[in-house]
Amino acid sequence: MRPFELTAPDSVEAALSEQGTFLAGGTTLVDLMKLNVLTPQRVLDINELPLRGIDTSDGLRFGALERMNDIAHHPGVYPVISSALLQSASQQLRNMASIGGNLMQRTRCGYFRDVNTPCNKRKPGSGCSAITGDNRMHAILGTSDACVATHASDVAVALVALDAQITLASSTGTRTVKLDGFYRVPGETPEVENDLRPGELITEVFVPKLDWARHSTYVKVRDRQSYEFALCSAAVALDIQDGRIVDARVAAGGVATKPWRLAAVEDALRGEPATVRTFEQAASIAADGAKPLSANAFKPSLLKRTVVRALIEGSRA
Amino acid sequence: MTSRIDGPLKVTGQAKYGADNLFPDTLHGYIVLSTVANGEITAMDVTAAKSAPGVVGVYTPFDVLKLDKAVSSVFGETWVPLQTKEVAYYGQPIGVVVAETYEQARDAAMTVEVTYDEKPAVTSFTDGLATAEEPPEIRGGAPNEMSVLADGVESIEDALAASPVVVDNTYFTATQHHTPMEPHSAVARWDAAGLTIYSGNQAAHLQAEELSTALGVDRSQVRCINPFVGGAFGGKARTSAAGFLAAAAARALDRPVKVVMSREQVFTATAGRAATAQRIALGADKDGKLIALRHDSVSSTGMDRSFVEPTSHGTSREWYATKNLHISQKMVPLNIPPVTYMRAPGEAPGSFALESAMDELAIALNMDPIELRLRNNSTAPPGKDLLWSSKHLDECYQIGAMRFGWANRSPHGHEDGDWLVGMGTATAMFPGLRFPATVRATFKADDTAEVGTGGADPGTGLLTVLALVGAESLDIAPDRVTPVLGDSALPPGGLSGGSTATASAGSATMVAAVELIDQLVKLATSAGAPFEGLEVTYEGGRVLADGRSMTFGELLRATGRTELTATGSSAPGEELTKHSFSSFGAQFVEVKVHKLTREARVTRMLGVFDAGRIINEKTARSQLSGGMIWGVSAALHEGIEIEPSGRFANADLAGYLVPVNADIPDIGVHFVQYPDTLHSDLGAKGVGEIGVVGVAAAVANAIHNATGIRVRHIPIRIEDLLDS
Ligand SMILES: Cc1cc2nc3c(=O)[nH]c(=O)nc-3n(C[C@H](O)[C@H](O)[C@H](O)COP(=O)(O)OP(=O)(O)OC[C@H]3O[C@@H](n4cnc5c(N)ncnc54)[C@H](O)[C@@H]3O)c2cc1C
Ligand code: SF4
Repeated sequence: MRPFELTAPDSVEAALSEQGTFLAGGTTLVDLMKLNVLTPQRVLDINELPLRGIDTSDGLRFGALERMNDIAHHPGVYPVISSALLQSASQQLRNMASIGGNLMQRTRCGYFRDVNTPCNKRKPGSGCSAITGDNRMHAILGTSDACVATHASDVAVALVALDAQITLASSTGTRTVKLDGFYRVPGETPEVENDLRPGELITEVFVPKLDWARHSTYVKVRDRQSYEFALCSAAVALDIQDGRIVDARVAAGGVATKPWRLAAVEDALRGEPATVRTFEQAASIAADGAKPLSANAFKPSLLKRTVVRALIEGSRA
Repeated sequence: MTSRIDGPLKVTGQAKYGADNLFPDTLHGYIVLSTVANGEITAMDVTAAKSAPGVVGVYTPFDVLKLDKAVSSVFGETWVPLQTKEVAYYGQPIGVVVAETYEQARDAAMTVEVTYDEKPAVTSFTDGLATAEEPPEIRGGAPNEMSVLADGVESIEDALAASPVVVDNTYFTATQHHTPMEPHSAVARWDAAGLTIYSGNQAAHLQAEELSTALGVDRSQVRCINPFVGGAFGGKARTSAAGFLAAAAARALDRPVKVVMSREQVFTATAGRAATAQRIALGADKDGKLIALRHDSVSSTGMDRSFVEPTSHGTSREWYATKNLHISQKMVPLNIPPVTYMRAPGEAPGSFALESAMDELAIALNMDPIELRLRNNSTAPPGKDLLWSSKHLDECYQIGAMRFGWANRSPHGHEDGDWLVGMGTATAMFPGLRFPATVRATFKADDTAEVGTGGADPGTGLLTVLALVGAESLDIAPDRVTPVLGDSALPPGGLSGGSTATASAGSATMVAAVELIDQLVKLATSAGAPFEGLEVTYEGGRVLADGRSMTFGELLRATGRTELTATGSSAPGEELTKHSFSSFGAQFVEVKVHKLTREARVTRMLGVFDAGRIINEKTARSQLSGGMIWGVSAALHEGIEIEPSGRFANADLAGYLVPVNADIPDIGVHFVQYPDTLHSDLGAKGVGEIGVVGVAAAVANAIHNATGIRVRHIPIRIEDLLDS
């Protein structure tokens, strides 16, 4: 860790007028600072800012500083969101980590975290160690020759499935963007992960009202039962009426460079009977276009299986 | 059932582990590791580090802290850091930065620039199998390759060819690491008396030997203190780089120095467990009697070739009755960190192979896997006349099968909702060993007693056992006995390794107690003493004669003494020429595998063990269930990914998975208690390691039962079970 300067602005205006790296729960930032992966000169502790509140009266509104556990345990929150949160990290981490920080968390790629290895995301142009290295956990969708790292957030997958939006504030004003469009695939510039502009602060997360999202689920497949990132995950919400699928939301995690909405799978579900056969047929296209790496040839198959499982469990929810 | 005596201290944070000792003026050292796996360091630019805030010393192979060969009476030579510019593995300690604070040392260490003359690294175990070498020596000096053949049989190949049923497969186990909760660390301080070092270790007197030889000072000038050890498992049997560097830097700088490895550093700067490849061929008759057993083992090792993981010697050599046996051991030296003893070295990975093979044979014979094992139950190791001193493996299986509901197992598992469920079993064995140990027993004037020895309690419960055996031998209540461990100033107490500590220190305690009581009686009857000239007896902490009695405390006070001390020693001896010794067990595991996404999770476990007399069921149970969790971990989680460059891809606890609570079900542990007094007067054999033995195979066998998929490597992961 490099020495840095720490300030704690007490208003959004003050925070936006200063230059520095925002510190929320610190579970990503401090971790990466200890590893010398992030070396900010100046850190702005935003925990005193009034970015709080969980409002479920018309859609869901979360202040960016709400902690993962508080959102997960709020009764009005759709199951797919609670479930994704509760399957994330550990109790202790969820008590500290904020929803805003969660959406901004960095990849878990081991090379990104080790300053002794080449990594285009950490050091543009240095090369990607994962493409020829240990890439079992890495992405098969949305990858490029420059980077194959997954976006590691669970809840972002659920939020993207539900068309969530985020509000961004800067010294020049605020704007609202869809979370799905906010994230970027790596392309030639893996160091750019999203559309956040320098100095911009996430103030709020909004999930539009979707009554049938009460019938939703998040399936996370991983190498141990808790406290581990997804090898593959699927967020599903289903509107089933009289045995037919009226509408569906499906997104996948652990397999892509950003939370991966599966619009084609949703299309294949709409109007079909809610049967395992339908689920299997729809899921069969989930991995179309996937580019497996040397150590994760199994992921396309696992993705399809995970989507089927999530659809089955979602149809029971 | 006695609770751990040091439990309250540990859970309230009052137990002082090595790195908890902080003296005024202490400096902090941070170790620098190599980032290539093979080559020579041509330069180290330490300019920035030397001028960084708080830094008082930077030591490298160019600016060296001189250390000689480190030698101990049990382990021979041990590697000492910084004495060479040669790099033999990625993550090798090549420097230490010492500063006023830990953070200053760490930040400065990250500025050190190293230039290497890099050479190609040899890092692939599987590529090396074809050219595996003969190892220098295997545990106990056994030959690398050996056969036991029935009369008239020419070779193991002939015996296999003549077997009506044969299974022949190769099994692989991953590189692992102990990575105990307490990272390797040391606090070293010099004064007129010499060096005092606080560092978690498995045997204070061996650490003192290693440090005194390395530092070139007399053994009497080195005192090693480690009353609490935060896990060791074989990985703290030798002095760590942290220990050597703290001691040498503290001497050079004339201030106390503390060195604590980071979790990441522990993975490469201390030795782990070898990867293994094992080919096993079993030949049997139609009734399941083994005709031939062939087990050829290869293990990985560092370029120092300092350790070989003896998988066939640790299992097939002794486990089953077979007329024909052939075992062999080879090794593949690689540019990887050294390997060493790790909980059940040999037995743990060896049993994965052998007990998976036994399951495969049972299936080939269409026979119940327990029945197959009982049909091959041995009365002595193959080709040896020394019978097992005490063996109740059959009873372990009978009780286990009943308690686990084995009769409900179907050959093809069963379904439970979205999950496939299967049961598996495996045999566990671990040799009954003992080390020489000396114990000091003391009666004190306040009517308490102390029992002390230099051995260590790395979480095993030895401290509690010492109090219990001391109390029993001195015939007083356990709460009057203060056990003392972990100090090289105490008599050498063996080694907390090889599941030997209870039998070794316990036996010596019994001898010391007899000697102490003898001295008390002499004192009581000596001239001028209260029982002068009388025929006295000792009972319940009192000396009795003529209807009169006095406690030992009263007697000491009456004779103007504060204490009375005796030592007693015990070592393995004649019994080794009469019997073979082992602990035995039967492991049972139930798993579920998701029909679609194929995660395998353990849902029930039971281990039934025959480990002689159980001195304290509570700590013994903890040892065994802990071992069984290790087995689940090996089966489903643990494995170091070694990159072609020699870098460990997952050298931290985020990437090197071990189970969390959610992965572990309730664990049943049951003992059949048959004191083995042929092994030692105490009747206890070891429980530290046998718990892990066999579990990985039982998991793999249960997975096969559930899914029909046989996985011949560990860890078994989701992709291994996605058959289509
Ligand atoms: C061991 C471990 C296991 C984990 N497992 C999981 C898991 O299974 N699933 C999962 O989803 N996550 C997991 N995580 C990640 C965890 O969820 C994130 O670290 C956490 O959500 C980040 O939130 P934070 O408030 O601590 O962010 P911080 O660490 O404070 O910040 C993270 C980043 O976001 C920026 N930032 C923070 N708030 C804002 C804001 N309002 N506006 C703009 N930028 C902001 C910071 O500048 C920083 O760059 C794990 C983390 C750890 C350490
Ligand atoms: S996958 Fe991305 S993050 Fe990982 S090494 Fe390659 S460039 Fe870096």
